[in-house]
Amino acid sequence: MTRTRQADEPVVITGLGAVSPLGSSFDGIADALLAGRSGVRAIDPGPHAREAVQFAAPVADIPAPADGDPAAGGFPQLDRLERLCLSAAATAVADSGLDAECGARIGIALGVGAEHLKSWELDFLAGGDGVFVGRRQPTLVHRLARRLKLRGPALTVAAACASSGYAMALGRAWIDAGWVDACVVGGCDILSPTSLAAFYNLRALSRRSDDPAKASRPFDGARDGFVMGEGGAFFMLERRCDAVQRGGRIRGELAGIGMSSDGVHMVIPSTESVHAARAISDALADAGVMPDEVDYINAHAAGTPVGDVAEAGAIRRAFGAAADSIPVSSTKSMSGHMISGAAAFEALACLAAIDRQAAPPTINLDHPDPQCPLDHVPHACRPRRIRVAASNSFGFGGSNLCLVLKAA
Amino acid sequence: MIAHLRPHRPRRAACAIQAHAYVEAAFSRIAALRDEPPPTGAPSLPTRFLRHADEQTVVAVRAVLEASTLLPEPVAAARCGVVAAPCQAGRIATARSLALLQTGGAVTVSPHIVPQCSLHSVAGAVSVAFGMHGPHVGIGGGPDALSEGLFTALSLIDSGMPDPCDAVWLLVSDWESEPELDSHGEPLGEPVCRALAMLLAPEAAAAGTEPRIALVTPAGQWPADPPDEPDVDLAAFARAIDMCRSGMALASWAVNCPWGGRVRVEAGTESLVSSRREAA
Repeated sequence: MTRTRQADEPVVITGLGAVSPLGSSFDGIADALLAGRSGVRAIDPGPHAREAVQFAAPVADIPAPADGDPAAGGFPQLDRLERLCLSAAATAVADSGLDAECGARIGIALGVGAEHLKSWELDFLAGGDGVFVGRRQPTLVHRLARRLKLRGPALTVAAACASSGYAMALGRAWIDAGWVDACVVGGCDILSPTSLAAFYNLRALSRRSDDPAKASRPFDGARDGFVMGEGGAFFMLERRCDAVQRGGRIRGELAGIGMSSDGVHMVIPSTESVHAARAISDALADAGVMPDEVDYINAHAAGTPVGDVAEAGAIRRAFGAAADSIPVSSTKSMSGHMISGAAAFEALACLAAIDRQAAPPTINLDHPDPQCPLDHVPHACRPRRIRVAASNSFGFGGSNLCLVLKAA
Repeated sequence: MIAHLRPHRPRRAACAIQAHAYVEAAFSRIAALRDEPPPTGAPSLPTRFLRHADEQTVVAVRAVLEASTLLPEPVAAARCGVVAAPCQAGRIATARSLALLQTGGAVTVSPHIVPQCSLHSVAGAVSVAFGMHGPHVGIGGGPDALSEGLFTALSLIDSGMPDPCDAVWLLVSDWESEPELDSHGEPLGEPVCRALAMLLAPEAAAAGTEPRIALVTPAGQWPADPPDEPDVDLAAFARAIDMCRSGMALASWAVNCPWGGRVRVEAGTESLVSSRREAA
């Protein structure tokens, strides 16, 4: 049985915004991805995590919303996660041309997995006692909704590294159901001492501190873990007919979504790949495309020894023989792993591939692992016709998500 | 100007509650609950599965086990999804971790803190514990966890159940009142952790006697600045479902969403008819 989407009207992306180690404008990010530019560099994670990790893919600058934008007030005083989310979400709203105050019912679905953990941590490291007192306060998504003047449903959704992709799925479901006219969806994440140390102690991070830009090497035989990144992306979703009628610019269609769980382990993905493959197959069916109609796959591939092999198996299982000739790359080789923000950022990478008609590369892929037999795009981008792109996101707890994006 | 937008008509979506259970546990009881055998008739858990789990996960898993014993027929766990809406879960472990980080540095940070103390952790643990293959998500994380969890579960069911789902477990959990912690992250006093587990299925597939959860949205514009709703008590919500299941409730019970939606607990249609006959 495959999930049957009950709505016929396509849901499209009419606005986008991002904040990332590779820049904050769509064109800038697309340029960086296609040029194979790494955002990974040496960092000082502060006195508490310095002994663990000394490199990552940080965001250098967080653009404040434009003067006059009601979201801009008090921006510098907000914590880092709120500034990242607000910057990208406000850009997506402005880019869409939809006026939040004109009566449209606009919701917001925010994909963030550890808002409280990071909020308590930042407060604690600044001398606060919030974690010990535990005051219940409005969550980040409600603060974002008020700043952006969005009156519709506002929810935080978490599915580990697939969080912002699940936010996209939820936003489309709300539009399909008629709860909202449009929805702001996406997510971001930040680097913090505790998260760096926890992933390091889990032995999930690369330890190639001698050459940070070479450390993120998905699918490579010498990969030794992922590199943490920060940032993410937001989109405005609405029905195609509404976008056309108001003259909105359609960036692409969120055509297919597949979701499943391994149900096997809290951290390690299932090596059998059955359920990850099912998420991919469901997304293709939802989008109404056959495997050989997909022109590019943005892999989750973070660069962990087990995860990359499991994903290669899932891709081969879902795409069959078509996997021999569909270019696959992992943009995490350049952006690092943005955790909660990764799925949305990689959906944006798919839009960049469609816009530029080229598959971004996996950099540092010097010797592809024979256990990952895919049509890799090593080192340099591959120009080709791209109308349909699939993006995988797999997270802790065995959370599997695949998005299919189509050209406008 | 948005003349293209559709009229904002009132809308209703509903699902049935096939089973539910509410569990409370004082902090000092939770250590034992981690390894306690499941109740008779409930599925078993992997050995020591809850060893590193957050308190809200431990109590939520217990609520799923208790609810499982109330099902008239076993439900294939593999065909279930999970929506978990905890409130400030993971705070005790985070406080302990931060206290250690300050004195012992990065090496003291537990690798379990990310998988066990994040917003998705309750949903992930339930999905893994019972081998569920439908999607699992964490929702909310703050004071509106109940209405947000209800809305999300209804959205998933209303938009077409994802393959291979027949049903969705909705778990809502919190501390009765937020525990105050000492400088090492240990709770002062004896806080009570609680969880409500509900197995939700599409209304069309449900028995007529099963209580319903319905989401209704009003016509017209949503409020520009909706009033803050008082916290909804989880125990009272669980009692409302009990009453609807027993056919005692002729009146429904509602939770207001901050954006204007209203989630109602309703008795099943056959229960209502039966109750009205008895009342007559």
